[in-house]
Amino acid sequence: MRELNFLLSLWKTNLASAMEYRAAFLSQAIGMILNDGVYFLVWVLFFDRFKEVRGWELSDMFLVFGIAAGAFGLAGAFFGNAFNLAEIITGGRLDYYLSLPRSVLLHVLASRVVPSGFGDLLYGFLSYFASGQASWGGLGRFILAILLATAIFIAFLILVQSLAFWLGTGGTFTALAVNAIITFAIYPITLFNQAAKVVLFLIVPAAFLGAVPAGFVRAFSWPTLGSMALAAAGFLALALTLFHLGLRRYESGSAIQVEV
Amino acid sequence: MKKYLAILKINLLNSLAYPAELLTRALVIVLFMWIFFQLWRVTFAAAGTEAIHGLTLRDTMWYLLLAETLELGRPRLARLISQQVKDGSIAYLLNKPYHFLFYQLASGLGDSLPRMGMLFLLGGVVVWALAGPPPAIAHWPPAFLALAGAWLLHFCFNALIGLAAFLAEEVAPFEWIYQKMVFILGGMLIPLDFYPAWLQTVCRSLPFAYMMYGPARLFVRPETTVFVQTLLGQILWLAVLGGGLALAFGSGMRRLAINGG
Repeated sequence: MRELNFLLSLWKTNLASAMEYRAAFLSQAIGMILNDGVYFLVWVLFFDRFKEVRGWELSDMFLVFGIAAGAFGLAGAFFGNAFNLAEIITGGRLDYYLSLPRSVLLHVLASRVVPSGFGDLLYGFLSYFASGQASWGGLGRFILAILLATAIFIAFLILVQSLAFWLGTGGTFTALAVNAIITFAIYPITLFNQAAKVVLFLIVPAAFLGAVPAGFVRAFSWPTLGSMALAAAGFLALALTLFHLGLRRYESGSAIQVEV
Repeated sequence: MKKYLAILKINLLNSLAYPAELLTRALVIVLFMWIFFQLWRVTFAAAGTEAIHGLTLRDTMWYLLLAETLELGRPRLARLISQQVKDGSIAYLLNKPYHFLFYQLASGLGDSLPRMGMLFLLGGVVVWALAGPPPAIAHWPPAFLALAGAWLLHFCFNALIGLAAFLAEEVAPFEWIYQKMVFILGGMLIPLDFYPAWLQTVCRSLPFAYMMYGPARLFVRPETTVFVQTLLGQILWLAVLGGGLALAFGSGMRRLAINGG
């Protein structure tokens, strides 16, 4: 409860700070909605020409795209530093968080808001309503799916970027990992063979950002919900363990830094 | 000219100084090419044909490789220039004995060339292994000439977006939309030949097709008419965008206020 209150205060401050530059904030959020919409046209054109890919149709793409955009947006809007944790580690900027009486990881992740994330999140919902499969029950499942997908996505980002404790670098590798999980998530899963699917479920958990939650949104299923919850818990546990193991190795030059 | 070549050389050497970084950045093309191959292999199999609108699976993959090389290796100057405008560091470039825009052109090229080379090399290995050998060497010169024109068009767009920082607080959304226009109207993810006829006509009347489709199509099918159309389109749009860039730069300079430093 204490951590939740802390998070709420942090988000409130972050949002107020971002809204100080209102025009920039709104232009990034609206720009991202347009960006996602225009990007999705590729799939509209593709399925207009080729109709389906091994049973995967345009309506499936709307769902997959909606969940991936929603999870990506939610991570950026509320845990914006999940995208540059490696830079913070290698730049010695964890000092600031270590000196405060709060969970280091939670504090660092939630200390930045990416304004375009709100655009991605909103686009996720637009994509869901455009899928032709919208219903009240479906909307509830969609929200739950986005929350679990976000947890898995953030856990994956922490895992990848915690390697910076050992490697001393990580920005480029992070970009590659983000590209990998998002790209795999928004392509029809029916394209991939069994070996690739093992990778997509266990190593780069893109299946939990696209195809699996999309299936859950289409129709409620306990096994699917269980698998998503298990994946979220498993990846989060791994991420926390690796981050805290890495934190023991953390060192910095005691540089004077200002966190704003 | 010599000073711009020196700037180009410095940036080239700077990029080559960290080969591991260059290689890691380029690895993303391996991922993209593999996924594209899965998608188009299934699509061609479902269509039950060797070629779709004259392009085989192998052609499509080499087309996509050239398009991705250009997209991932093109200059990323929009944010750099906008940052220079916003934080005032543009002042340090304006008082030097070179033109700001030509400086950006030379430095962008120096940064871009090694990246594009590495992307083409890595992606080429993947595409060759998955889809078959590259087009005959004779196809390469017209495609690479068009690639140079496309790169210049990308530079003009990037510089225009960067200079928009004189007017707008945030230029990132312009950059996103420009990139997605290239994706869709440039035929980056799907060759324009696969589009409905009306949309192909629309695309060919805009600059984006000459920034992506032209060079990529010439690489796999070097037809004279496509070559002439691409070059003429590039020259026309370079004149339009280059003129716009000169005007935007002049207008930006009149707005520029530098306070101490």
